Amino acid sequence: MSSADWKNYKPVLIPEIKDLHKIDVYEKNGGYEALKQVLTDKKKFDGPKSVIDEVKAANIRGRGGAGFNAGLKWSFMPPADGGPRYLACNGDESEPGTFKDRKIFEYNPHIFIEGALIAAYAMQITSIYVYIRGEYIDYVKMMEKAVQDAYDKGYIGKDILGSGFNVEFHVTYGAGAYICGEETSMLESIEGKRGYPRVKPPFPAQKGLWGRPTTINNIETLSCVPLVIKNGASWFSEIGAKNHPGPILYGISGHVNRPGVYELPSGVPVHDLINEVAGGMRNGKKLKAIIPGGSSTPVLRADQLEGVSMDSDSLREAGSMLGTAGLVVMDEDTDMVDVLWRIAHFYHHESCGQCTPCRDGTGWLEKILLKIKNGDGEVKDLDLLLDITTQMEGRTICALADAAAWPVRHTITRFRDEFEARCKKSVHAMA
Amino acid sequence: MPEVFIDGKRFEYEGEQRLLQFILDNGMEIPFFCYHPSMSAPANCRQCMVKIGQPKKDRETGEFELDENGERKIVWFPKLQTACNTMIADGMVVLTQETDELVERAQKDTLEFILANHPLDCPICDQAGECPLQIQTYKYGPEGSRFEVKKVHKPKRVQLGPRVILDAERCINCTRCVRFTDEISKSHQLTIMQRGDKNYPVTAPGREFDDAYSLNTVDICPVGALTSADFRFKARVWEMNQTPSIDISNGKGCNIDLWTRDNLILRITPRYNEAVNDHWMPDIGREAYKLFNENRVQRPAQKLDDEQINSSWNNAFETLAEKIESTDKKEILFIGSPHASVEENYSLMTLANLLGAKTPVFTTNIIEGYGDGFLLDDDQAPNTNGCRLLGLEEKDAKSLKKEVKSAKLIVLLNDNLIDREVLEAGDLNDKFVAVFATNRTETSKVANILIPVTTAAEHAASYVNVDKRIQRTFPAKETKYTDRRLDIEMSEGRLDRYGTSFDNWVTEDNKVDCIPFWNFVSQLGERLGLKIELRNGREILDEISNKIPAFSGVSYEEMDVQSGISLGGKKETVKS
Ligand SMILES: Cc1cc2nc3c(=O)[nH]c(=O)nc-3n(C[C@H](O)[C@H](O)[C@H](O)COP(=O)(O)O)c2cc1C
Ligand code: SF4
Ligand code: SF4
Ligand code: FES
Repeated sequence: MSSADWKNYKPVLIPEIKDLHKIDVYEKNGGYEALKQVLTDKKKFDGPKSVIDEVKAANIRGRGGAGFNAGLKWSFMPPADGGPRYLACNGDESEPGTFKDRKIFEYNPHIFIEGALIAAYAMQITSIYVYIRGEYIDYVKMMEKAVQDAYDKGYIGKDILGSGFNVEFHVTYGAGAYICGEETSMLESIEGKRGYPRVKPPFPAQKGLWGRPTTINNIETLSCVPLVIKNGASWFSEIGAKNHPGPILYGISGHVNRPGVYELPSGVPVHDLINEVAGGMRNGKKLKAIIPGGSSTPVLRADQLEGVSMDSDSLREAGSMLGTAGLVVMDEDTDMVDVLWRIAHFYHHESCGQCTPCRDGTGWLEKILLKIKNGDGEVKDLDLLLDITTQMEGRTICALADAAAWPVRHTITRFRDEFEARCKKSVHAMA
Repeated sequence: MPEVFIDGKRFEYEGEQRLLQFILDNGMEIPFFCYHPSMSAPANCRQCMVKIGQPKKDRETGEFELDENGERKIVWFPKLQTACNTMIADGMVVLTQETDELVERAQKDTLEFILANHPLDCPICDQAGECPLQIQTYKYGPEGSRFEVKKVHKPKRVQLGPRVILDAERCINCTRCVRFTDEISKSHQLTIMQRGDKNYPVTAPGREFDDAYSLNTVDICPVGALTSADFRFKARVWEMNQTPSIDISNGKGCNIDLWTRDNLILRITPRYNEAVNDHWMPDIGREAYKLFNENRVQRPAQKLDDEQINSSWNNAFETLAEKIESTDKKEILFIGSPHASVEENYSLMTLANLLGAKTPVFTTNIIEGYGDGFLLDDDQAPNTNGCRLLGLEEKDAKSLKKEVKSAKLIVLLNDNLIDREVLEAGDLNDKFVAVFATNRTETSKVANILIPVTTAAEHAASYVNVDKRIQRTFPAKETKYTDRRLDIEMSEGRLDRYGTSFDNWVTEDNKVDCIPFWNFVSQLGERLGLKIELRNGREILDEISNKIPAFSGVSYEEMDVQSGISLGGKKETVKS
């Protein structure tokens, strides 16, 4: 299915089936078939490695934002040594503009559970943890129930489906810190510690949860896995954009008529998403800019969007990133200074505070932006802002500092006039 | 041997090594804050940035690939790396701030960030003068400030525990204090609270930071965020002299520095010794500084009609000499002390031997269960093993009492036997008691003659710790008796070292009227017609080393070179 043909696409991650979140309904619709195949169909799958190979070939690119090939990541796990190994499923979903994993929690939790179980088998994992953001307390409860149902049906636990494969499944949740979505910070949090990202190396595949081999995947990433197993890697890799294939949950928010989460092939043109999928601009206003994939991805002006589609290559060429495919749409009345200040406020509020450049840089950025927003800024402050971003980028333990710096750098460069107009006139006479 | 290239210079190395430590060990410098050699490296301050590359190797041949000039091709890490958590690898190429502009720039940038929210407290901050942030800012930091918005405000003067006070605004969130309680003292009493620039260390609600080692966090805090409740605002560091010494409040013998101003010891800090106490010491050992200043015995005293009254040195000296002369030597009991140095106990022993009296006895001061397996030992005395190795006779309380009963004249070397309930005042009722003491105590009260002697802060002398390690002190302050210009053991004053006039030696204030015990013994010997020549700790130890096999090969020179010498084998099992 090509991206252009998105109108004929039928959702597979969150299909419109009533009560699909119930395990019986899920089973009736082919649920847990993929797990059965993997565990018991020796003709189709000859051991864990064959599962990894299939997933690698499908090229499921991580839906948590970084876009790393899931199967390839799984292959980094060291050989099993009889000790515990972990899968940590990232449902922290806190990046502004991103609200897609919640749809899976709500409408199709078992596809995620099944995907996690297949991943566990493929990597010979002994325990699965799913980490859900604390604000999603209702989904935490739903997930607990879904996991219990799967235990009761024998999909989780000892000797699953008579295959001899054992795995545990734990549901955990956060306490309102964005940084706990960063994978190593999440591991600390699961261990019951303060959510400080870890220094790498060692990488989680070597030393993850409790110092043991661990793989971290996003909820949506894992939810794609049963689809790959049932329909084959080539079926999956032919959906949507070539280099970033598969179904995507687009979270569209902002000044459109029908904001929401839409499942479509990857690579849908940005204009189609805004004008057709999301029902067009609200109140007939003109489009001013978008943030394509969560608040850390660089903003794109309307004039930069000609022919741009929601896939990693196209967005990179345009000067941004796909991120989490959380598309924020802004109309002509949007005050970019305000927008940027609000984003900077978020990162300032969420920096864990370990690294000097992030701890003190994020606050400095916000405070200068507030000054500009209040009309007290000077043009030299804009250059200072750009300097600060240079001083932050690439110099910290985790990518939050980059995520905080990029929007500032790109919004100022791409809307410089608007920022200068908000600054005080120079008090120095021009020569 | 594997090699590494730093700023173009080649170094060989062995084993697993952290790049930052290797650079420091080789006399070069990189600014850093969060790294501490005895703790894990969280790499959070981001100050120690360097540029790192590895030579490219041909996959098939394993040979280094060379460029057209015959130089190794280097693959550089795309980002700057922190040196503290980088392990050196063979062939690694490192560029520091000395040779790379981007590195220099990055270090300056990080300092700019640290300073952004740092209060301008230096003029009133205890850390000023010994502050890594201050020093590194001068060396590597930006000039002026571009931070023209409001600084973050946080709590100041927070009493974290009985001995440590936090100024959260000064904290740079290096987590050294937290890691100390997690990794070293294992009390786990501190954690960082809040996020981002609101971060600072706290205890759990309702809990105190009363860790027995809490003051070490004050030492390792790279800024003035943690200060000592006792020491804060007492002195600027540049007004004080720093003299190496040994903690005499416990048998462990932690290596310490005594900080002096105007002949008063103002604080005690740990001195690094890998074999004894690493970088640490217990809080209680620091409190011992008061013993050097307060409640000292000043000039001799004699008992008249049950009351001690001051006497002249001559008079006290003559009275004691006559008493010794007129007493049957079998009825003199010399009591040595695990609280006194090797040299003092040896002097006592020499006197006893030459007089033909019995070998001096001593009683250990061991509290079973007091030790914590770290730097606090059951043994409360710094020199129990010294007494043993010298050959003093070890007596428990019961047999000591027996000895006392059958004696007429008792000569007691600095040991508070009554205070620590080995003897009762009544045991000494009808005896003539000569006490050599540093401080006024219940024991000094019973003396018929009380002679003030020097403390570990006033003489050079050695102590053998529970692990049989002999270590020594230096005089850190003058007494009325000593003259710095004549005493080669005296450490340099700031005037000597830096040419500043903030010097603690220039004052006559606070000099205690006391004498090194061996000097008193020498003079007494002369008066009694004995051949005793005990001039100073250094010579006495040489004599000991020649005479007593357990001390052979030991000298001040050797102790200074090796930071103490182990006198054989394992720790003596502590028996009380
Ligand atoms: C500051 C920060 C926050 C993050 N938050 C999330 C998150 O909420 N959910 C998520 O799936 N990934 C998040 N990530 C990405 C994860 O670190 C990790 O790359 C991802 O979970 C891996 O899964 P994937 O490969 O399946 O995408 C975050 C990364 C950073 C640096
Ligand atoms: S970059 Fe920021 S959020 Fe990430 S570890 Fe460092 S301080 Fe924490
Ligand atoms: S109080 Fe001092 S040691 Fe503790 S985190 Fe702050 S700066 Fe570091
Ligand atoms: S010393 Fe290396 S990051 Fe702090």
